[in-house]
Amino acid sequence: MATRCRIEIDALRKTFAAPAHQGGGEVVAVDDASFRINDGEFVALLGPSGCGKSTILNMVATLIASNGGTIRVDGEPVVHGRPIRHVGYVFQKDTLFPWRTVADNIGYSLELAGVPTDQRRARVERAIHQAGLDGFGRFYPSSLSGGMRQRVSLMRTLIAEPEILLMDEPFGALDTHTKLDMHSVLLDLWENTRQTVLFVTHDLGEALTLADRIILMSARPGRVKQDFRVNFPRPRNAVTLRETPEYAELFSKVWHSLGEEFVKGRSE
Amino acid sequence: MRRLSTLGWQVAIGLTALAIWEWGWGLQTAVPWLVPDLLDPYFVSKPSMIFKHFLRMSCLVSSDDQWTWGVAGGFARCMARSENNLWIATYVTLKNTLWGFATGVSSGFALGLLLGRSDRLSEIFYPYITAFNSIPRIALAPIIILAFGIGDASKIVTAWLVVVFLVFFNTFEGARSVDRDHINAARLLGAGDWQVTRTVIVPSTMAWLFASLSPAISFSLIGVIVGEFIGAEHGIGRMIIEAGARGEAAGMMVAVFVLAIVGVILSSIVRRIQAYLLRWRPAQPSGN
Repeated sequence: MATRCRIEIDALRKTFAAPAHQGGGEVVAVDDASFRINDGEFVALLGPSGCGKSTILNMVATLIASNGGTIRVDGEPVVHGRPIRHVGYVFQKDTLFPWRTVADNIGYSLELAGVPTDQRRARVERAIHQAGLDGFGRFYPSSLSGGMRQRVSLMRTLIAEPEILLMDEPFGALDTHTKLDMHSVLLDLWENTRQTVLFVTHDLGEALTLADRIILMSARPGRVKQDFRVNFPRPRNAVTLRETPEYAELFSKVWHSLGEEFVKGRSE
Repeated sequence: MRRLSTLGWQVAIGLTALAIWEWGWGLQTAVPWLVPDLLDPYFVSKPSMIFKHFLRMSCLVSSDDQWTWGVAGGFARCMARSENNLWIATYVTLKNTLWGFATGVSSGFALGLLLGRSDRLSEIFYPYITAFNSIPRIALAPIIILAFGIGDASKIVTAWLVVVFLVFFNTFEGARSVDRDHINAARLLGAGDWQVTRTVIVPSTMAWLFASLSPAISFSLIGVIVGEFIGAEHGIGRMIIEAGARGEAAGMMVAVFVLAIVGVILSSIVRRIQAYLLRWRPAQPSGN
């Protein structure tokens, strides 16, 4: 398979200054992390909290600078503070603009790009429909539930049709039921468009449901520990997939390895 | 039911207060220990006298207490006779209040945004701003009258001075507390520097600005009135000073009542505008 490499991470390192009350010095958040992501691949970056997985994502997104190693997107090294046009980002935190309606939030990037109003309206309308938010276009985010807000966030990013999608635990703050719901929405959307996705999560079930590949990170300092293939057939059903023996088998395999990191992380 | 009983209490309290004010002094000879000297109509007049004065000062009745609308040109003649009649005074005070408000809000917002988003500028200007802020602005009113004369300009400048700081500090705080994640989100969605300012920093700072509009309009009115106290040809403040000089309590009270009505109307308009502009905010637990 001659697929193109979209994201290339090589010997990536990130250190933070430790707070003075912890004796100062340096905390190594990410140490010598290397992996590649091919075109159209859905990759979950999985690890215990504090393992530096979000830090890696934020470095790819150019939100923070690295202290060593390289990140290349489509062969070009990324530069801190210079977001790449065709890379989309979905936050864990609710970052919808509260002063804009649902429709105006979703259409934001098109507005910036100067897409004419009638075209914009048609695309926003379609996005609202895809997210199952019909009739909510003129609502303000403050009157929506957490799950609905995260759908709006997702569509706000997807409407610009990014080729690469970075997601930082986007469903981390949602309850189990809403989360499953969001998995179905995302699977439906993604299985049609097949962007390259790097998805950060600490939820193994979520990683297995969505991804083609799981990159397991070790506890701090974050390194790539293991790389698992997730070969469940697509289209997937977020609910029934979890009942299959293949799911159970892979779950326990990854769980064992992840469990070791949880224990290591705690004993620190 | 609860609302009705609230209204009932409010009316009852109001009427009682008016009744004591109207007839209380009459009891002075019978029960002197019950009636405070403050009820003396020489100081506080009486509701009936105030109402009569109101009718005269507003030219609704002529000086011989005839309704002016019964006489052809009666109202116009009465209006022409007094240069600072109630209508002109109210108009002048209102106009200057709105100008002071408009100029104070716009310049305070611009300055707050500029300094709030620039660490360098706020660092440089910090001592001057704190120094200026510790001066009670009203203390500068006589100087302003001296510099700008007794016309409208000096009242607008006085009002501007009290409003601009209030709005400046609110905007400054707002501009500093713009959510970093909103800025990051905008950048990642393709916004350049100017677009971030226009679509994130300005609207989220606006929320803080709007919160300062209610006090700003009241402050503006205070600024204008104080300016008029010190030196003016027209205005309600001028009217209070004139009536005071004549020892005319009823005249002063009319002016104060009109001022209260103007204040209530202005702040309810501002609050309505504020509620509309902030409609995207989650509903507040209490509200007007």
